[in-house]
Amino acid sequence: MSFAPWRATASASNPTPAAYPSTATPAYIPVQARRSLAYNKPTPATNGADMTPADATPPPRVQFPPAVRSYVQRCFAPENKMASVTAQEMQEKLKFVITDAAENNKLNTIDWERLALPQVMVQNERNKILANPNVSNWGMPSPSSPVDASRKRKSGLNQDAETHPWTKANNNTRNRFEDRITHPSTEKRPRMTTDDSSKSKANLEMRKKRFEGAGANYGSASPVPSPARSPPVDQGPVIGRCQTLEKKYFRLTSAPNPDTVRPLSVLKNTLDLLKRKWKQEGNYGYICDQFKSLRQDLTVQHIRNEFTVIVYEIHARIALEKGDLGEYNQCQTQLRVLYAAQLGGHPTEFKAYRILYFIYTRNWTAMNDALADVTADDRQDLAVKHALDVRSALALGNYHRFFQLYLDTPNMGAYLMDMFVDRERLTALAVICRAYKPDVNIRFITEELGFESDEQTARFIIENSSAELLEEKNGSVRLLTGKAGLLFEQAKAAAHAVVDIKGQI
Amino acid sequence: MSTLAGEFKSAYSAGSGDALAAVFTPIGTQNKPYRLQSFYDFTNAASLQKDLSFALFHGKSLKVPRAEQTAWVDIFAAYWEAVGELLKYEQDWPGASLVAIFTAWKKVANALIRGYSSSAGIPAWTLPCLYTVGKYLRTFAINADIKAAPQGASSFGFQDDVAADIEKNAHLEEAARIINRMFTLCLSDRAPMEESRKWGIYQTTNLIFKTYFRINSVGLTKNLLRAINAQSADLPPLEAFPKSHIVTFEYYVGVIHFLDENYAEAEKHLATAWSMCHRGASKNRELILTYLIPCHLVTTHTLPSDQLLAPFPRLEKLFRPLSNCIRKGDLVGFDKAMSAGEEEFVKRRIYLPLERGRDIALRNLFRKVFIVGGFEEAKEGQTSLRRTRVPVVEFAAALRIGTHATGRTRIDMDEVECLLSNLIYKGLMKGYIARERGIVVLSKNNSAFPGTGV
Repeated sequence: MSFAPWRATASASNPTPAAYPSTATPAYIPVQARRSLAYNKPTPATNGADMTPADATPPPRVQFPPAVRSYVQRCFAPENKMASVTAQEMQEKLKFVITDAAENNKLNTIDWERLALPQVMVQNERNKILANPNVSNWGMPSPSSPVDASRKRKSGLNQDAETHPWTKANNNTRNRFEDRITHPSTEKRPRMTTDDSSKSKANLEMRKKRFEGAGANYGSASPVPSPARSPPVDQGPVIGRCQTLEKKYFRLTSAPNPDTVRPLSVLKNTLDLLKRKWKQEGNYGYICDQFKSLRQDLTVQHIRNEFTVIVYEIHARIALEKGDLGEYNQCQTQLRVLYAAQLGGHPTEFKAYRILYFIYTRNWTAMNDALADVTADDRQDLAVKHALDVRSALALGNYHRFFQLYLDTPNMGAYLMDMFVDRERLTALAVICRAYKPDVNIRFITEELGFESDEQTARFIIENSSAELLEEKNGSVRLLTGKAGLLFEQAKAAAHAVVDIKGQI
Repeated sequence: MSTLAGEFKSAYSAGSGDALAAVFTPIGTQNKPYRLQSFYDFTNAASLQKDLSFALFHGKSLKVPRAEQTAWVDIFAAYWEAVGELLKYEQDWPGASLVAIFTAWKKVANALIRGYSSSAGIPAWTLPCLYTVGKYLRTFAINADIKAAPQGASSFGFQDDVAADIEKNAHLEEAARIINRMFTLCLSDRAPMEESRKWGIYQTTNLIFKTYFRINSVGLTKNLLRAINAQSADLPPLEAFPKSHIVTFEYYVGVIHFLDENYAEAEKHLATAWSMCHRGASKNRELILTYLIPCHLVTTHTLPSDQLLAPFPRLEKLFRPLSNCIRKGDLVGFDKAMSAGEEEFVKRRIYLPLERGRDIALRNLFRKVFIVGGFEEAKEGQTSLRRTRVPVVEFAAALRIGTHATGRTRIDMDEVECLLSNLIYKGLMKGYIARERGIVVLSKNNSAFPGTGV
């Protein structure tokens, strides 16, 4: 216990005279009291400095970990002071907490960061003793409130000698809110009490009740901070035990139960079954659901291999075929990561889809990323080259080239192109109507824009503009480009309105 | 420590935010290469708080409110620990790691944020500290990610799917969240403007933009812009902020619009950044031009002059071949230049707008066809007019130049028409195609190719 030489001068500059009378009060046990009061002096210049943990914690021969030190410091910090709890009470409690932890070798196991401060413990104990059923009291341990004052009186704790005027003044202004927010930490204390072997049985009982009470009180005010709030982050992969092939998809909200998770060998059979069922029944709703649960089982078991790739690829293709782009995009995103891990599969096929997909969603930022992903080797691949050509043809407005490419799409890319081909037809018609005068043969449109027949062309034009633009002349139907005006321009704008797909990133 | 505490005291009493921020710069300076080491050596974990508050606030020189003192001591305590991690790493101690540095520095950032937001009320003039701490938080996070990447410690959580592409930027994302809190701290301050943290808004925004760009979440920047716009009435006008904040901010806003293909808006912001950027800031000027030049190409169809590119050899290399081909109307050369520079263009995210330069090259080529077509025979007493009816085959012939026309590469007439109709549609050419007659009828009176004199 050494006081720095500068301390005396610093105290002398202390503007609060209240500290001196209290030092002089004879009612204290010399060392204990002197120390406590010195620490609680609201001396702005020195208080932080002379709170050496070694001073404050009773048995000095124990080496305290830093967490304990900072805990002690927090106990003495002026902003944590509570008017209703005297310094002495707080110190006794603190002493008890620390000695107890030291004796039971719990110094390193207790979560000091979260442990309630002793003043809070004292306050809680009192609240419990009062057994006040009124919840609002719990929420307002404000020292200046009438409730609190009366409670203090009722509790019969004759501590008047120790409630100094400055304690109150100090607290009224600042600490009401802090007091309130420290309370949640009481939730953590059961951990501490279970270690209390030295405490009397009655006391234990009482505290136990208090915790229950506190929990209940708290629960009524706000959701109980149960363990669910901070779930165990990663317990490692689950090993499934489920043997049934089919399983309905259910979004996980807690750790998976191994009994409902299928191991890899079962999943392989599941995939075969699903492939068969898709061919026979073609029930997309059922298939999609099953694939989702299949994917989930793979994920929770951290299975990341060629089989995973196959599952995602098949699901992606089925989703594509049914035009379920939300689901498709989820698979695509996963596949990109899986391909990066070199697990086999068909990376170029899906790289091509990805480019086409971004054309459809017109996500240029993502398109740039997709382009960055394409390597020189990928360019040799027919599908990738096709997708790149499609992109460039559209970027340059070369509808002639675009529709040639459309008619010759490898793999399942046509399903994706179907999604935006009408949109591009309108764009092309807007261009053609601006550039060609006075009219063009409808045959030309059919050929340029990849329609199957003149009838289909005519129907498309009528649906998107007006029948008056078509006229029969010399045995052929002609599109009166000169009269189209802004008709196709408007149709194009409508078709280009934002594409919204669920699950899109 | 005496140095660092001295720096703190003098910076604080001088009220200099920048000097104060320098205290929190976790590197040795030229004059004091060992400032961190001496700071770390001055105390130990046990008496950290005590020593800090003595060194920082003892004596009468500095009048700092009590709560603020505690906040500074906390900040310095976290800083001390982080410096410890840094030194350990520099000296190759066992257990030292880049991740540990990041974790320790995160505590500095959090202590600082707490100091501003809590009742401690660190005054707003110290904001440069926030920026410096945020800046290094980002740096340390990037380092930590590089370090942590091979370990691939993945936490699957309860997700349905396997992938988490995000993992490789886990630390930087965490940093982004903390910097985001700094952003909110600045934006939501309601203190009177003279002492408001709002003055730090653009600096923190820039920092977080930078971070979002790095983690490829440019989309998230929109939320920040929306938040700033919503508050714009309460913010001081842009001109009132230091230019350094504004140049960077305008640059990023420009690039964000640029990536959305909103080139007109992008050009506005980039041009502001360009005009305000310091002459000597060569790297920044180069960055601005990287986006401003493609913007200009798309919006005004103009190419960068030699004079503009001269001081920037890297840009010269990037844009010169391309703009030469555009100027000459050399389509084959253009396509070659595009594929030669593709990797760099894609990396800089300028491939898509540059690609549109092909239209300009095409226009220039067709313009030559028009000029070569010469004049109609002049009628008596009138100036001769250019021949405005040009057969499509002539344009097709021009397209064949340089393509080593063999049967295989022969150009489809429909495609030529398609290219022509696109130029007409985009307003680069005026006239119409008469398909049945196989000719293009161009506008008379020197307006066939608007803006080019013919």
